[in-house]
Amino acid sequence: MNEPKIAPQTLSEKTVKLKEGKNLELILGELSVPLFFTALCLLGIIAAGLNPRFLVNEIITRLARNSFLVLSLIIPVIAGLGLNFGIVIGAMSGQAALIIITHLEIGGLPGFFLAALISVPFSLIAGYLTGLVLNRAKGREMVTGYILGFFANGVYQLIFLVLVGTLIPMSNPKMMLSSGIGLRNTMDLIAVNKALDNALLSSLRLGPFKIPWATFLAIGLLCLFTAYFTKTKLGQQMRAVGQDMHIAAVSGINVDRIRLIAIMISTVLGAWGQLIYLQNIGTFNTYNSHEQVGMFSIAAILIGGASISKATIWNALIGVLLFHTLFVVSPLAGQRILGIPQVGEYFRSFLAYGVIAVALALHAWQTKKKAASRDKE
Amino acid sequence: MSKKVLILILAVVVVVALAAVYFTRTSVPEVATDATGFKIGIVTGTVSQNEDEYRGAEAAIAKYPDLIKHVTYPDNFMQEQETYIAQITGLAADPEVKAIIVNQAVPGTIAAVRRVRETRPEMIFIAGLPHEDPPLLEREVEVTLIPNQPERGKTIPQLAKKMGATALLHYSFPRHMSYAQLAERRDLMRAECEELGMEFVDVNAPDPMGEGGIPASQQFILEDVPRQVAKYGKDIALFSTNCAMQEPLIAAALQTGAIFPEQCCPSPTHGYPGALALEITDEIKGNFPAIMEAIDDKIVEAGRAGRFATWPVATGFLHSIGGVEVAKLALEGKLDLNDIDAVSEVISEVAETEIKMARLSDEGNFYMYIVDSHIFGE
Repeated sequence: MNEPKIAPQTLSEKTVKLKEGKNLELILGELSVPLFFTALCLLGIIAAGLNPRFLVNEIITRLARNSFLVLSLIIPVIAGLGLNFGIVIGAMSGQAALIIITHLEIGGLPGFFLAALISVPFSLIAGYLTGLVLNRAKGREMVTGYILGFFANGVYQLIFLVLVGTLIPMSNPKMMLSSGIGLRNTMDLIAVNKALDNALLSSLRLGPFKIPWATFLAIGLLCLFTAYFTKTKLGQQMRAVGQDMHIAAVSGINVDRIRLIAIMISTVLGAWGQLIYLQNIGTFNTYNSHEQVGMFSIAAILIGGASISKATIWNALIGVLLFHTLFVVSPLAGQRILGIPQVGEYFRSFLAYGVIAVALALHAWQTKKKAASRDKE
Repeated sequence: MSKKVLILILAVVVVVALAAVYFTRTSVPEVATDATGFKIGIVTGTVSQNEDEYRGAEAAIAKYPDLIKHVTYPDNFMQEQETYIAQITGLAADPEVKAIIVNQAVPGTIAAVRRVRETRPEMIFIAGLPHEDPPLLEREVEVTLIPNQPERGKTIPQLAKKMGATALLHYSFPRHMSYAQLAERRDLMRAECEELGMEFVDVNAPDPMGEGGIPASQQFILEDVPRQVAKYGKDIALFSTNCAMQEPLIAAALQTGAIFPEQCCPSPTHGYPGALALEITDEIKGNFPAIMEAIDDKIVEAGRAGRFATWPVATGFLHSIGGVEVAKLALEGKLDLNDIDAVSEVISEVAETEIKMARLSDEGNFYMYIVDSHIFGE
């Protein structure tokens, strides 16, 4: 138990010293991204003049839909793998599981849990393979993961568009193309629609708002798990690997194995996150739904104040809140400020993508600053 | 350095805030309710992808200024489905909105419709050119308007033959071939080509939603058409299932002398103005007969008479303006949406040309139509 702790302790002492030595400026610097976005959101809300009920309802839905996915990014960050673009691969595993339960016509909560169960072996294997590749691309995990997502997309299309109906025997005219090969481009998830959202106390409303209690419970459990996990031996080893791979290796940690485990956990969580997301939406694009997850989850956690080397549960939750508030209000804000419908869309993409760039730039600036102040000491 | 950046951020925030407050005060007045007591929402793309839908909505607004609420869906609709759904539920949050036209009905429409129906079961939905699976969608929305894709699997080869083609080239990619009707159309095209004694060539192009994006697929078209023409001769007819590929396809056909029977979404404004460097002046804006004439002149000038054709109406434009018309009449109680002949009549009137409409199945009102083509220079 003791030996892996040596490395992190010395390092964290150093950061504490660093913090004490620094003033308000640094703290403000650390919070600058979320603060900046809070200001933008408030302005957006004022400018959009939205019906407050619609806004709150929309934000509750978005929080329930996306938090799990965003939380699944934390563990790889701790292990020093950066932001895991590979959750796209987890999402594909989740979708594969959903396709299976839709074919078997198992609906409701049992169907949802069965999908969660089925997705585990898929995502474990996919995560293991991803981890193997990322271990050969140390220091370039993010771009490698991003490109792996495209590669996996090709494999996914091959399986569901060509192999289903040829190599994989399946016949279901409702789900398959008329030629008998390949799946249709829309999957109807009516059977598991809101299965989790409505599983607990579905009639208990908070004022005029319908709350998906069970989904929030699942998110809460994942928060607890993440917090607990970082305190376990494995979690501490991950922290050590994340802070310095060489020191960790010297202290006897099997670095490659730890990194592999981190990616596998993240991939499984990504698959479950996608299940939660899709059961709320109620349909999915067989060949595209997964593309939505990587980029937006990462943008959300960055906006919440995380960086590629540091991410907390609060970063994830605040990030989802801010990012999605901005997404809800910005089209209408743009439209109302300028009075032309399509400008709303341009304004929104300008804001959404511009702010991701700003978030990354602010982080780069902070890292540089920290490095500079460390050099001074 | 850090202080400067902080000050800069604060300055930007203040400026944006002041601008927001200033503009919202003088912003567009709330849309007044029409005397009939309802409003119609319309969701289209922006002009970046395909201009027709947006301009159609503008034309509808010009026709009924106080009746319509217009919003747009994300350019990147494949990735930003949540925003798309929120735009539609946002429209439905206004209790005066009694009908919503979604054109094009990109993926996420079914989810959005179901969400709206949770609180507004009576809402009328009209979908233009749906991307989602027809048998699923037709049960969810009141009316769907779409060119008859399976039927076009026969009419396009016939038209190509009439224009003198000996082969038909079909550009597509796996994602589009997962659209049931597009795959069906390709199979029908192949069968029809065989019957007419033409060669059918199926070529896989890069997916514009893939890693290379739209530029990669357009580049591919520009490079591949000369190769194919060299191989099969000038009398090859070109067809592609993707909107972004139409402009390079027309440009390449113009250059190599190949035949171009129809776009994926037939319309005089789809691809032609860009490829022909056609100037859309104020006089011909929104005036389709005039635009057809202008294209005719350009094609004849380029010495390619009889090699290019399209429908005389812009389908995207028609879905927007026709959708509004149909919704308005239905809300006023003057039109039964289940009556295909009545709907067809309304749409024909808006299009100013005859439209042949067919129903997909009895499960819903999935209306597919065909318009006779116009060959330029004849």
